[in-house]
Amino acid sequence: MNDMRMVEREVDTKEVKISARDCQVYYGDNHAIKDVNVDIEDKTVTAFIGPSGCGKSTFLRCLNRMNDTIDICRVEGQIKLDGEDIYDPAVDPVQLRAKVGMVFQKPNPFPKSIYDNIAYGPRIHGLAKNKADLDVIVEKSLRRGAIWDEVKDRLDKPGTGLSGGQQQRLCIARAVATEPEVLLMDEPCSALDPIATAQVEELIDELRGRYSVVIVTHSMQQAARVSQKTAFFHLGNLVEFGETGQIFTNPQDPRTESYITGRIG
Amino acid sequence: MPVLWIILTMIALGVVGFLVGRKRAMSSVDGDPRHLHSLPNYYGVNVAMMTMVPSLLLLLLWMLVQPMVIERQISGMISDSAVEQGANLSLVMTDVRRVANGLDEVVAQGVMTRPEAREINAEATNVRELLGSVGVALGSDVRPEVLQAAQRYRGLKGKLSVMMAVAVIGLGLVGFAYATYRTTKDFRARNIVEAGMKALLILASTIAILTTLGIVFSMLFETRNFFSQYSWTEFFFGFVWSPNFRGGSELGILPLLWGTLYISFIALLFAVPIGLFAAIYMSEYAGPKMRAIAKPLIEILAGIPTIVYGLFALITVGPMLRDYFAQPLGLGESSASVATAGIVMGIMLIPFVSSLSDDIINAVPQTMRDGSLGLGATKSETIRQVVIPAALPGIVGAILLAASRAIGETMIVVLGAGAAARMSLNPFEAMTTVTVKIVSQLTGDTDFASPETLVAFALGLTLFVITLGLNVFALFIVRKYREQYE
Repeated sequence: MNDMRMVEREVDTKEVKISARDCQVYYGDNHAIKDVNVDIEDKTVTAFIGPSGCGKSTFLRCLNRMNDTIDICRVEGQIKLDGEDIYDPAVDPVQLRAKVGMVFQKPNPFPKSIYDNIAYGPRIHGLAKNKADLDVIVEKSLRRGAIWDEVKDRLDKPGTGLSGGQQQRLCIARAVATEPEVLLMDEPCSALDPIATAQVEELIDELRGRYSVVIVTHSMQQAARVSQKTAFFHLGNLVEFGETGQIFTNPQDPRTESYITGRIG
Repeated sequence: MPVLWIILTMIALGVVGFLVGRKRAMSSVDGDPRHLHSLPNYYGVNVAMMTMVPSLLLLLLWMLVQPMVIERQISGMISDSAVEQGANLSLVMTDVRRVANGLDEVVAQGVMTRPEAREINAEATNVRELLGSVGVALGSDVRPEVLQAAQRYRGLKGKLSVMMAVAVIGLGLVGFAYATYRTTKDFRARNIVEAGMKALLILASTIAILTTLGIVFSMLFETRNFFSQYSWTEFFFGFVWSPNFRGGSELGILPLLWGTLYISFIALLFAVPIGLFAAIYMSEYAGPKMRAIAKPLIEILAGIPTIVYGLFALITVGPMLRDYFAQPLGLGESSASVATAGIVMGIMLIPFVSSLSDDIINAVPQTMRDGSLGLGATKSETIRQVVIPAALPGIVGAILLAASRAIGETMIVVLGAGAAARMSLNPFEAMTTVTVKIVSQLTGDTDFASPETLVAFALGLTLFVITLGLNVFALFIVRKYREQYE
């Protein structure tokens, strides 16, 4: 662990991209998220850590309204993206998800060619005027996903034929292709080996230049390596939120300390 | 000793064997089952198995071989002259068997005693009358030669039956004794029973495969007979179907094949979109409550007998199509039409397509949908561009299975499309299918050696090959594209 260095990591004060106020989530009668207040900054990697079942993934899925696809799920409170309430009835969740991209735990390329995987979002949202435009978008996205060199000669091959790490970077490139403003990542490395994980982490660091990235992770080392801000969830509560270096070296809450030192979780 | 009694005896012996085996196993360890290699019941099952299986197999084999042996013995007794009179040896043999069984019946009903029956003389007694009195009707008077053969038949059969009973029960007892002797605490009864289970399972699957082979071969032989009487080029490339039992028939399969494919095509045109859309609604949109109600309701369609669909076609759909489409459009006057049969058959196929597709769509991983929704796709975009392509191989398989169902369908066609073999593009005209013609060639008073009857087997085999091809193709498609979503 190289926690010590983290303290000195400089963090500029940036504008707030997403702000949640008194956010509550219920699954049926189960109160999964309680009174979460958090401000996620632009061009920053924010990590959500916490033991399994603490609600971090649930909260992440609130940020692009993916929880709408679960019938019994109910969200209360206020979540604002650039000052607009995303749960306002006037907001179209489909448009929102184009702005807030998501990468999932398990790489889930579509059973289509690599090209079509990337072109899927741009086609749906009409981002390309013609084929040449689309080619440019695909190349740019694959480059941003740091996978262009590996797949440029086999764009017409199925995306399912890639290795796990490549698939995950393909999925990141796919999410990037729709030009989102925020990228949500739900344990993006849990199904990958250390080398692929290192590649994805490097990629996340690069993406920080353009997007606000929110990553859920079980690995505290990973949170420490890639994030500038860290939020610790426990039993549906946001226990502590702050600079990554400060959370890992000088946690304010005893529960955070117990978790990062391995006593709970 | 009747076969039923032999079987019951063997079962009883098996039960005794089970008890004895278990008891012996227990007593070999002084009642402490922990020292046994296997659980006590396994020892019992082993003894029961050894008692029953070989002996019942012998019984089966004996019953297959015995008629052949008797036939051989008796047929030697019948002179060539008798054969000429009776036209054909197998007919005479049928007579012999009938007389023999009749005499058994006479004894069983107490009209005569056993020795009396044995002494019957064709000149002295009217055998035909005697047998008629116990309910066995004969076609002609019994000739002395046949009576003699029948007596011999009875004698042989009686002797062989006794031998069979002795052999079967004897083998059972040997198995019983052997298995009981082997039952000691170290004997691996569990493994033997396992092997027995495996053999049973293999037997079950072999029976299914052998039956298919049997069907193919029986059709193959009759088809060969047919092609020895009728040219295969005219059968496969003939455009006219007009069987005539006085000879001079034209038996071209093309009109029937055309009708079959046309009706199946319309059926699929109807069933595939509706079935698929229903499946998509059920698996993607419907809530659990709706699903719990609607799915069984759709599947009720699958349980309706096809003859009932046929009635529906005959009295409802046919006249409706005629009155509202065919007549106003000037396309025909007949209520029996390709469209009628096709649409009703399509209704029948809806649950097929929908329930198979539903399962397949449900098998598409949720992560795939999440991925698409997470990119800002709507539900129907997700279904159209991700879920359906991922499920496509399975859906194609489902459609092909429905197609082979449609091709084999008979009752709906008889009642919905009529029986006129015709080649036409007009969907409001009556046509017919291969299956309907198979039925009509084989029903009624027919001679089984004429090409008009034998053609049914050629038709059946052709149909079998087509549906087999479709099934193989469906399996091929499903296998080839299956690994796509992992």
